[in-house]
Amino acid sequence: MGTLLRQIIKNCEHLSRLSISNNLLKPGNSPLLALIATKRYSNVPTPYEVVDIKAEEKSNKEVINQVNQLVKDNNISRLFAVVHVTGKQFKITEGDVIVIEGYWPPTVGDKILLDKVLLAGSTDFTLIGRPIVQKGLVRVEATVIEKTLSHTKTHFRKKRRKQYMRINFFRIQQTYLRINKVCINGEVNNPPEVRGLETAIF
Amino acid sequence: MSNSHLFLKPGFINVPLQNGVGRYVSQLQRVVLKFCKNNGSSRGMREFIESGLVNFAKENPGVVVYLKPRRHRSAVIKAEYLNGDEQWMSCRNSTQEEISKWLNLLVCQSKNHTGTRIRKLWHTDHPSIQGPWTPFTFRDPKLNLATFPNEELAKPKDSDVSNHERLIELFKKQKLGDLENRRGE
Repeated sequence: MGTLLRQIIKNCEHLSRLSISNNLLKPGNSPLLALIATKRYSNVPTPYEVVDIKAEEKSNKEVINQVNQLVKDNNISRLFAVVHVTGKQFKITEGDVIVIEGYWPPTVGDKILLDKVLLAGSTDFTLIGRPIVQKGLVRVEATVIEKTLSHTKTHFRKKRRKQYMRINFFRIQQTYLRINKVCINGEVNNPPEVRGLETAIF
Repeated sequence: MSNSHLFLKPGFINVPLQNGVGRYVSQLQRVVLKFCKNNGSSRGMREFIESGLVNFAKENPGVVVYLKPRRHRSAVIKAEYLNGDEQWMSCRNSTQEEISKWLNLLVCQSKNHTGTRIRKLWHTDHPSIQGPWTPFTFRDPKLNLATFPNEELAKPKDSDVSNHERLIELFKKQKLGDLENRRGE
């Protein structure tokens, strides 16, 4: 345990040496480090601490304003988004086709919105959700273009010397989705007063 | 786990004619229902034609439906898609519900998928927007100005004292020890 901690602290020092030096951030070994770091989880804190909270806030605000200005001027490049659909995550952009496996009610020709956006980004910035970005901020539109079945999959099981042999065949349902649009609506870090009704249908 | 799927023709997602970019166009062109008017194996097909076919044709105005009675042959669905694919499906002894379900599948498909296996669940024309990762992304820009050979960068990352230096130190210690021994003599 002792050696492990020493290693971690060493690595931290190393990290702080390599990291891009920013005036606001002072490298240092947090006294908490020894308490938190355990063998099982890699919950080592980021090896820097915020010295001046006000300066930090100011710089954050600047970044957010820059992003908002880019969105406002429509000066952003092609956007991509990471969306969560039926237990799988897809990195998508406009014009992509993704396949969703398993039973999924939407039928061909349906236009849908993908709500769970975990991340969105362009060449100049990235919005990272915790775990999803502000609902309604990133609009991802898609069309269902095909519903079909996969190839025949074989499920063969056998137990040796036990006179046990089973064979099953199955095909899973597949839904093809065309991504029509990925765009940002509204402002970052400035959510509307009434929330939760962005995608509701009345 | 069986490997029989390895003998299938592998392929990637291929959607015809940018379908769904503007609007969705059903890719099924024509359906021929072949059946016998007397035989029991065509019973489900005859029932479907009596009860469900008109609704099916109304719901899918883009699909041409043909009926082809033929004596003493089993029931068959033949579908033709806009890309020229044909799909033949035996409906011998199948019920009315089964037939309507398979027909629904044919309507929703864009081509004959039998015998092919898709390798990826994702197709894109723009694989990277922020640029693909390289060993130099997220590195300190100071490295751009580094001159080589560089002692600082040549050092191993995890220890401050290199093995080379350690060996030299050991060697020096040994020398000192030797000297002391000689003095002792």
